[in-house]
Amino acid sequence: MSDDYKAKLRAGSDPLVFFKSDDELERSGIARGHIMAAAVSHALRDGETLFIGANPLIPLAGARLAQLTHAPNLTMIAGASGGVNPLLDPLAPSSGDYANLVAEAVLPFHEVLMMFMGGHGDVFFAGGLQIDRRGNCNLATVGKHDMPVLRGPGSAGIPWASRARRTILYTTAHNKRVFVPSVDFVSLAGWPTESEVGIVSRGPELVITPLAVLDFTADGVMRLVSVHSGVSPQEVADNTSFELAMPTGEVPTTAQPTDLEMRHMRTFDLDGLLSIIVPV
Amino acid sequence: MTTGGADGARGSKVLGIEEAIGLLPAHSESLWVGGMHMHNVPMALVRECIRQEKRFGTFYAGPSSSLAAELLMGARLVERVVVGYIGFEQLGLAPVFRRLVEKGTDIQIIEADPGSMLLGLQAGMAGQPFAPLPPGLERTSLPSTSPGFYQGVSDPFTGALGLAVAAIKPSVALVHCQQADEYGNGIFKGSMFSDHLLALAADRVFMQVEGLISNDQILKYPLQTGVPAMRVSAVVPVLFGCHPCSSHRYYNYDDVHLRLYMAAASSDAGFADYVKKFVTGPEDQEEYMRRVQNQDWSSIQ
Repeated sequence: MSDDYKAKLRAGSDPLVFFKSDDELERSGIARGHIMAAAVSHALRDGETLFIGANPLIPLAGARLAQLTHAPNLTMIAGASGGVNPLLDPLAPSSGDYANLVAEAVLPFHEVLMMFMGGHGDVFFAGGLQIDRRGNCNLATVGKHDMPVLRGPGSAGIPWASRARRTILYTTAHNKRVFVPSVDFVSLAGWPTESEVGIVSRGPELVITPLAVLDFTADGVMRLVSVHSGVSPQEVADNTSFELAMPTGEVPTTAQPTDLEMRHMRTFDLDGLLSIIVPV
Repeated sequence: MTTGGADGARGSKVLGIEEAIGLLPAHSESLWVGGMHMHNVPMALVRECIRQEKRFGTFYAGPSSSLAAELLMGARLVERVVVGYIGFEQLGLAPVFRRLVEKGTDIQIIEADPGSMLLGLQAGMAGQPFAPLPPGLERTSLPSTSPGFYQGVSDPFTGALGLAVAAIKPSVALVHCQQADEYGNGIFKGSMFSDHLLALAADRVFMQVEGLISNDQILKYPLQTGVPAMRVSAVVPVLFGCHPCSSHRYYNYDDVHLRLYMAAASSDAGFADYVKKFVTGPEDQEEYMRRVQNQDWSSIQ
């Protein structure tokens, strides 16, 4: 292993070291992470119950922001830790972090998951190594399943997303490797295939990426909703390996977080994780 | 079954690491290691299994396994792995798991999901032969990829077709509690993850703890007891035993060590060096912690 790599790591035990930014300036302004979290917040409705799994920074921040602004009756469960309505005191990078136990209740993980499998959740957050134009997600294998070119972690909880009323997809990487025409393995089933029409009526609702917010047409094709500040529709197209449906008229810009929203996010994102996980 | 001491008094189950893992046969049918992601994983017990070359037929990598799955697979001590999730969450993908599968391995990989595994585990606890699953999974690739794990079943009440998984009854469970008394009444000081269910379902439970407390203390706060003693075969006190994973309320995961592990384990030679330095090399936990604190990775490629 190179000395260069070692030099980048600070001595001692610090779970935040992975996220330490070289550029302090990056933390002062509005980063894509903030725009994504605000987009999550705007997509949530008061009174909903949310399940948030692994890699939770964006949905946790968005859900807490919603609670602090327009959705005081929203309930969020921080997956692995079992924390119900964690205060994000502070926002922490792992879903299983002890920090998520500054909360109203702590459930065993199997009860959290089984409850959602039982249909007691409104919104499920998920993502994938691959996400396709129908909203299918893949966390298992890229390429042939028995001899993949990329072995992912496994499907985790996302096969059960359809048990919630709504599924919101998010990813911290918007590129052609992630946004593929058709996933190689279906961990989360998207909009109905031809043979399923009439049996299944819906799929994921929204996709929030570092470049854009997307949704799906009535017949289940991924559609551009808005591009983040500084991103062109062409840049989104260049980083997506299938043709997106387009909105009518000019593509709007995703709402920038307001001053109030930024202030709220800074109250719980004490380490500036949102600007480090998705900078710019 | 709980047995008493030689003098007829209630027997202590406190054992050293070597002694406790030494109770396992050379080959066990199945293993489930507690904790989740990089949290509450009884790594000292896992490392000892590797030192003593204990073999397991099936390893249940769920609900989410990280370094435990990596080390056991890398040491070729498991024959098949039921995959719910193997990875290091925001830190990245599991390098040994990746390399083994991408290059082709004789370890059988059974693609599964944590929800079904946990329903199977619950059925195992309750003596049900199988667990019917809620609808939804049939639209994924899982049932067609793992037809032996997911089976079709019809609802005897409505006739509706669905899927089911067989009951899971691990022959060995390794779990971490922050504290326990000498009889094995264990307390989770933070999340219990799925370890309460695991301890109730498994045939034999080996419990790693940060430290021992008295039975009087347990009796004062019985609602805190997450694992009752009757399920526990051995209690193994190991300070910092979860390292480099976290032990809730005691210490967080060691991000630096995990990142260096992931870089080292991206090659066969690097992984072998890591195992030599941090798993088979140290004669005890104290020596392991000394090597960790030294931060000297120069012997590792």
